Order: sequence, then structure tokens, then C-alpha cells
Amino acid sequence: MNNLLKFSLGIFLSLGVAWLAFVVGARAQFGDLTPSSETLDEFGNIPSDSDLYPLPVSGLAEQGSKEYLALGCMTCHTQQVRMVEAGFDVERGWGQRPSVARDYIHQKHVLLGNTRIGPDLANVGLRQPDLEWLHKHLFEPQSVVPQSLCPPSPFLYEQVDQASGKTFTVVNDKNESRFIVPSIRAKRLVSYLKSLHQNYELPEMAFVVNEEENIEKNAELLNLPASDVNQSSLPSWLEKQIASGKEIYMKAAPGGGLCFTCHQPSGEGLAGQFPPLAGSDWVLGDKERLIKISIYGLMGEIEVNGEKYNNVMAPPGIPPGSLTNQQIADVLTYIRNDWGNSASAVTSLEVSTVRNKIKGRAPMQMWTAAELSAVDE
Amino acid sequence: MKQNSEQIIDKSLKLTVCFFVASAGLWLLAAALLAYISAAKLTDPFFLSSFEFLSYGKVKIAQANAFVYGWGGNSIFAVTLWVVARLSQAEARGKVIVLFAGFIWNLAITFGLLGILDGHMTPHEMLEMPAEIWPALFISYSIIAFFIIVTHRSRRNSNTIAPQWFLLSSLLWFPMLFLIAWNGLEINPARGTVQSVLSMWFGQSLIWLWLTPVALGAAYYIIPAILGRAIDKYYLAVFGFWCIALLAPWSVVHHLEGGPVPMWIPAIGTVMSIAMIFPIAVASTNFHSTAFLDISKVWNSLPLRFVIFGTLSYTASSYIGVIFSLPAVAKITQFSIINDFHFNQRVYGFFSMIIFGMVYHILPKITGNEIAKGAKSFHFWTSAFGVLILLLAYLIGGLTHGVLAQQPSLNWASSVISSILPYFQITELAFVVLGFSQLVFVVNVWKAIIPNPFAFFTNDDDATNSEVSA
Ligand code: HEC
Ligand code: HEC
Repeated sequence: MNNLLKFSLGIFLSLGVAWLAFVVGARAQFGDLTPSSETLDEFGNIPSDSDLYPLPVSGLAEQGSKEYLALGCMTCHTQQVRMVEAGFDVERGWGQRPSVARDYIHQKHVLLGNTRIGPDLANVGLRQPDLEWLHKHLFEPQSVVPQSLCPPSPFLYEQVDQASGKTFTVVNDKNESRFIVPSIRAKRLVSYLKSLHQNYELPEMAFVVNEEENIEKNAELLNLPASDVNQSSLPSWLEKQIASGKEIYMKAAPGGGLCFTCHQPSGEGLAGQFPPLAGSDWVLGDKERLIKISIYGLMGEIEVNGEKYNNVMAPPGIPPGSLTNQQIADVLTYIRNDWGNSASAVTSLEVSTVRNKIKGRAPMQMWTAAELSAVDE
Repeated sequence: MKQNSEQIIDKSLKLTVCFFVASAGLWLLAAALLAYISAAKLTDPFFLSSFEFLSYGKVKIAQANAFVYGWGGNSIFAVTLWVVARLSQAEARGKVIVLFAGFIWNLAITFGLLGILDGHMTPHEMLEMPAEIWPALFISYSIIAFFIIVTHRSRRNSNTIAPQWFLLSSLLWFPMLFLIAWNGLEINPARGTVQSVLSMWFGQSLIWLWLTPVALGAAYYIIPAILGRAIDKYYLAVFGFWCIALLAPWSVVHHLEGGPVPMWIPAIGTVMSIAMIFPIAVASTNFHSTAFLDISKVWNSLPLRFVIFGTLSYTASSYIGVIFSLPAVAKITQFSIINDFHFNQRVYGFFSMIIFGMVYHILPKITGNEIAKGAKSFHFWTSAFGVLILLLAYLIGGLTHGVLAQQPSLNWASSVISSILPYFQITELAFVVLGFSQLVFVVNVWKAIIPNPFAFFTNDDDATNSEVSA
């Protein structure tokens, strides 16, 4: 320790060994990954006609990542869906599968982040596909998510007096409208956010839950009633969803759906008062309609299997209207697959898509049958 | 004779040490202000929201950099210069050049922070200041380090002791860490998440291998110096030192648990973090069993009170760090505001508190001006109180944050984040308290350096001026 040279050598070596592992080793192991197809053929090769993922990002989005970096968004947002063993990121609906190293190979700056004051953004482009929503959120997050802590960025927008084709209208909690025109920087940033999605599988990582992608791909298979696909043993994700849905259906505590008190545990309803769910043409029919009434409730005259009902279903959930996308997906999947019902599953992605589509609607504003059929057309 | 030579050494250091301490103080205030702004933005997102250069992300990052490089860097120079010269019983070398390099260092940080606020930050942890300023930082650092090593080489006694190992290793580790990271991130940038591994490794190692050894070295110096007794079980220190050297570079990457990197990376980090128990135990045995032999003296000496607060905090923070790196716990708290707990615990509760103690020890010796006891004591109590509140809020808030985030059914904004809002309010308050505390520190320091600011401008015979011409 007394000889400075030997001492420095020791100091140097102690760091050098770690450097070998974390820098040289890590680089050799996963520093030169290349894009890949979703699955490999039986020889472990990429099939010649397949698309390669991750797809390259557009120039606009690439520039947007610089804005994201410059504004320090990663001090509150991560961009990594953790392994299933490490956390509940997938359950929370932040991704269809955990992120893997290959997902990031096109990014000049990898913005993984290490703090989640805001939600993970690795798949925000799937959750919030709507440009208008993203712009309003960027301008003033509180205009779309009332309690948001996400910082407003009004400096990326120009405010004008008149609404026009180029403006978005932002309403604050005092009900004042403002008309904003996005700057080029705002457009880049929003384009970047939209580009964030890991909605493809990779040979090393498959989807954890069955998602829309798969449903589209295997449309024929899945348009069959989900429970018919394999009567005796349901796929485990479906079994899980049904079990969780049943729990919500039967739960009379915060976070539950309370459905059984009106529609009965048997799903038969009460004659003249509460319509049945078992065999109901609503339940087995259009998913979008089901999702809508699960978010906002239903009132006025309706017809279920030819029988007329005229009653009120407040937005389901305790407190009313509080069911999350995943919960709605689960409870709907459950009612579509019990009491002899069998129809395809509902995913949280479908719920969030519908939710976005109707998000301007005032809270607690229950649907009427007339309104629902008008929207359908 | 001995008395005399110490005075000569102190005199040779007066200018440079005063410069570094004074600038460190200013950075501390800048960091305090930025810390308050970012904390306030978490309780009210509309606070100053129309100023782009004060966006939360920018302020938060600028704060960390001002704290680590501005306050940390300058105070490391001051403490290392002084302790190394004193232990070598040799006069400091190259003071004009060191002063000049120090000036460049501070100028570069100023530009670096302005760069961050102006939107030019890099994504690399603790290397966020724009790429252009790093060569200046690196060169000025190397110059200062070079002259400290020259002083060390001219020491009278060829045997070295614990404070010297820690201070010199930190001096050498920083440039090595920097070169490795800079090469892998900017010169031949690695692709994909290798980047994140490297940047996270740098960010955490910086605290473990740059700030931590300085504070430990300072504690190894000042505890025996003030108590007038040898470090208890001193023979363990060498073991503790090499344990840190071997384990710390590995133990820092457990933050990637479950992330998009190969599993061995966080796994090694976890194992090594647990092994860190040994060096932590050694340091705390050395410090505390010595200090508790004469606890009343510790209590009565303000510098030592600061230092022991720091070492206790080190022990606590490191054990807590070990617990939070266990995979079962890490998966809950990994992305929560517990990260702010770790940062502030290490950098404020441990490093800064020890530095405060050192500065109060050094300044009177080299300037000959005593610092009022009441002012020091006020600084101690507000700092201790502020830090404890801050850390408790981050700790409890972080646990709440982590546990709620693991409930997939809870809505993010209205359930998870709104339940930690009260903790954000507490941290805001704590930063106000700490801000006042730091203001008192800086006033104490500046008053010791320039007791009569008006005389400084009017009187050409002022000590500081005559130093320059000497
Ligand atoms: C102070 C921490 C913080 C910072 C900094 C921050 N956000 Fe957020 N962000 C949040 C929180 C909290 C939420 C959740 C509430 C909400 O949806 O608004 C959120 C939500 C979001 C969402 C919606 C995500 C979803 O799944 O609905 C987007 C998009 C977003 N932020 C983008 C950004 C961008 C772009 C930046 C950088 C300009 C940024 N955030 C900076 C805290 C932050
Ligand atoms: C307070 C009693 C009540 C609760 C709780 C309740 N519903 Fe309803 N539900 C009704 C009534 C009443 C109607 C008919 C509304 C009308 O007449 O417009 C209805 C209609 C429906 C319909 C469409 C008609 C049909 O039978 O196909 C569905 C589907 C439905 N509810 C599902 C649910 C689900 C799922 C839950 C739990 C998440 C739930 N309901 C909770 C009272 C309730």
C-alpha cells in the first residue's frame, strides 16, 4: 500500500475486472443483436418472407426522442416492461410481454429510466393511439387526467383565439376552452410517443397474454367461441381471465363489480327488473356495446331476447365507474363464458380502445339503447 | 517546530482550499434552490410550468449534477488537498495552476448546467451535462489530481494510512470510471441496452467510488485527530478498503432487476451488494467503536458531531441498501421514489454531513478565523432534522409507492400516485429547511474566509491578495 505504483495498479485492476464484465462482456453478449422475425423456423433461422422486428422508427419519431430526452421525461417515466417474475407490469396493461434487449437496438439513445412517478411508456403508443389525446395531454395533462402529476408543456404550443382545422380544443377544470396549435417540436414528441410499442413477438419472448394481434391473425380460430377452442382444457390465460372476472362479478367491496346483486349469481336476472345475462343477445353480441355500458352504465327501455326492460344500471363498479380496463375485460369475458354462454374473450386493449373513442363523454352519463344503436350506424 | 511546519502547510493551501470551499458553498445553494423547485413541482405541476427551462425533468437532473459535481467535486478537492498535504507533512504544490484548473472546473459545470436547462442533456446517468464540456472537466480534474499526487509523493513518511488510501483511490477512480463510460457511451457508443447498463454502472459507481471513499477517508482522518486516540481495530481498515475496491464496482447494477438485459447482470449486482456487508461492517466498527469510547467529546466538538452523524448514516444507508437489493424487495421498490432516498442518503446524509464537519475543522486552521459556535450548531440541527425528515418521507413514500404500484387493479394517477402526494409535500418542506440550513453554512464559510468583505475591496494588504502576489 505504500508504493504508489502498486497501489494504483490494485485500484486500476479492481475496476478493470468489473469493466471486463459489464462493458466488454455485455457488449460481446448482446451488443450486436439484429432484428429478427417473430418466430424462427425449425432450424433456428429467420424465415425468408417474414417481417423483421423491431421495425425502424420514422425520422419524425427519432427527432421526438430528442425532445423527450431534452425535457427530462425519463425522470418520471420508464420504458421497460419487466419480466413477469419481477413485477406486475404486464398485468397492469403496460405491455403484452416483457421487454427484451432486442427491442432497443434501433434507438440511438436508450431511455430505460429508473423511476416510475408516471406509468411505463414502453407501449404508450398502443394504449393512447389517439393524436388529439396525446397533444392535449402534452399541453396540459390535467385536462384529460384530472389528478395527473405529469408536467404541462404549454411552451410547445401556440394558443390562438379561434378554433380551426389545425387546432385542438383543451378544456380545463373551470370549463374554459383553449385552442392550441402544436409546434413542430410537439408534433415530433407526439410522433415519438406514438412510435413506442412492442406489439410484436420475438423468438426469445412471446406475448404473455393473448392480445389483439393474435386475435386478428387467428381470426378464424378465435371467432369461434373462446371456450369451444378447447372445451376440456381452456388456455391458461383464458382460465385466469374467467376466474378473475367471476371474482369481480361476485365481489361487493371496493374494486368489485357487484353485478351478482342485480343479475343474480345464476346470471338469470330478476323478471321485469334486471335483465338476464345467461343467453342474453347483448352479452353474446357486439363487444363494443358491452364495453360502453360497462364503463358508463345503461338506462331507459331496452330489449333483451325480445323481452322489454326499463330500468337503470348505474356505471358498474364500486365506486361507480371505477372498473379498470383489465377488470372490464375480465368480467365481460366471464359473463360471455359462463351459464352456458360461450363467446370470444375481451382484452384490456379492446376496452382501452373503446374508452379512448368515447372519452369526451361526461362521467356517469349512462347510455340509452337508442343512443347505442345510433352510434353503431 | 511541528506547530510551525503545520502552519506553513496550511498557508500554502489557504488560497486553493478557500477557493474550493467557497465555490462548493455556492453550488450547494444552487442545488438547494433547484431541489426546492423540483420538489414543489411534484406537489403542484403548474408551479412555474410555463418556463421551459424549468421543466421538472431538467431541474431534477440539473440539481443532481450541481450537487455531485459542483458541491461534491469542489469539496472533494478542498478536503483531499488539505488532508493529503497534512498527512504528507509537505507543502502543497502548483497552487496557481490548481487554482486555475479549479476555475475551469467551475466554469465548465456552470456551462454544463445551463446546457441541461437549455435542453442539451445527454441520457447517461450522472453524465447528463452536454458532451462538449466533459473534456474541460476531465482535464481540469486531472491537473488538480496530478498536483495532489505530487504532494503525496513528496511525503516525509513513506508509510501510508487509511485516509490516504481512500482519498487517493477516489482521486484515481473518477478519471478511470469516466474514461470507461465516456468511451462506451460517446466515443464508440454501445448499441441498445448495453448503453443503459454502462450508464447506470457509471452513475452508481460514481457515488460508491468517488464520493464515498472521500467521506470515509475524511472520517478516518478526523476521528482520531480530534479525539486524540487511535482508530479502534485499525488492522481491519485495510480489509475494508480492498473489499470496497473489489465489490463496489460490481454491486451497483442491481437496479436492472427484471429489465431488458441478460439476467446475470442484475444477479451479480445483487450478490455483490449483499457481500458489501463486510466493508460496511468494518468501517462502522472502526468509526463507531472509536467514537463511542469518548462520546462526550464527540458531542462537544461540532465537526466531529457532523462526521459521526455522517458515518452513522453511512452504516444505516448501506445496510438499507443491501436489504433493498434483495430481489424480493427490489421488485417492489425498484422504480419507486426510494431511489431518491438512496441518493439523498448517500450524498446528503453521509457524504455532505462529513464534508460539513471537515470544512468546520479545516477552515479555522487555515484562515485563523473561528466560526461562531451558535451558527454551526444551528446548521447542524437544521441539517440533521431536515435530512431525517427528507429521508423518512422518501423511505415511507417509496415503500407505499412500490407496494401500490404492484397492485395492477389500482388506477395509476388517482390511486397510486395520489397516495404518495403527502410525502411529496413533506419533501418540499424538508428542502425548505435544508435550504436555510445550507444558507447558514455558506454564510459561516464565507465569513470565515472573508471576515470583513468591505476591507477586502478597499485594503490591498488583505491576506488573500498578498497570497496571489507571493
Ligand atoms: C413529474 C413526473 C413526470 C414527468 C417529468 C413526466 N411525466 Fe408523464 N406522467 C406522469 C404521471 C404521474 C402520469 C400519470 C397520469 C396521467 O396519465 O397523466 C403521466 C402520464 C403520461 C402519459 C400517459 C400515459 C398513459 O398510459 O396514459 C404520457 C403520454 C406522458 N406522461 C408523457 C410524458 C412526456 C412526453 C413527458 C416529458 C415531457 C412526461 N410525461 C414527463 C408524470 C410525469
Ligand atoms: C344495480 C343493479 C345492477 C348492477 C350492480 C349491474 N347491473 Fe347490469 N343491468 C341492470 C339493469 C337494471 C339493466 C337494464 C338497464 C335498462 O333497462 O336500461 C342492466 C343491463 C345489463 C346488460 C345488458 C342487458 C343484458 O342483460 O344483456 C349487461 C350486459 C349488464 N347489465 C352487465 C352487467 C355487469 C357485467 C355488471 C357488473 C360489472 C352489472 N351489469 C351490474 C342492473 C345492474
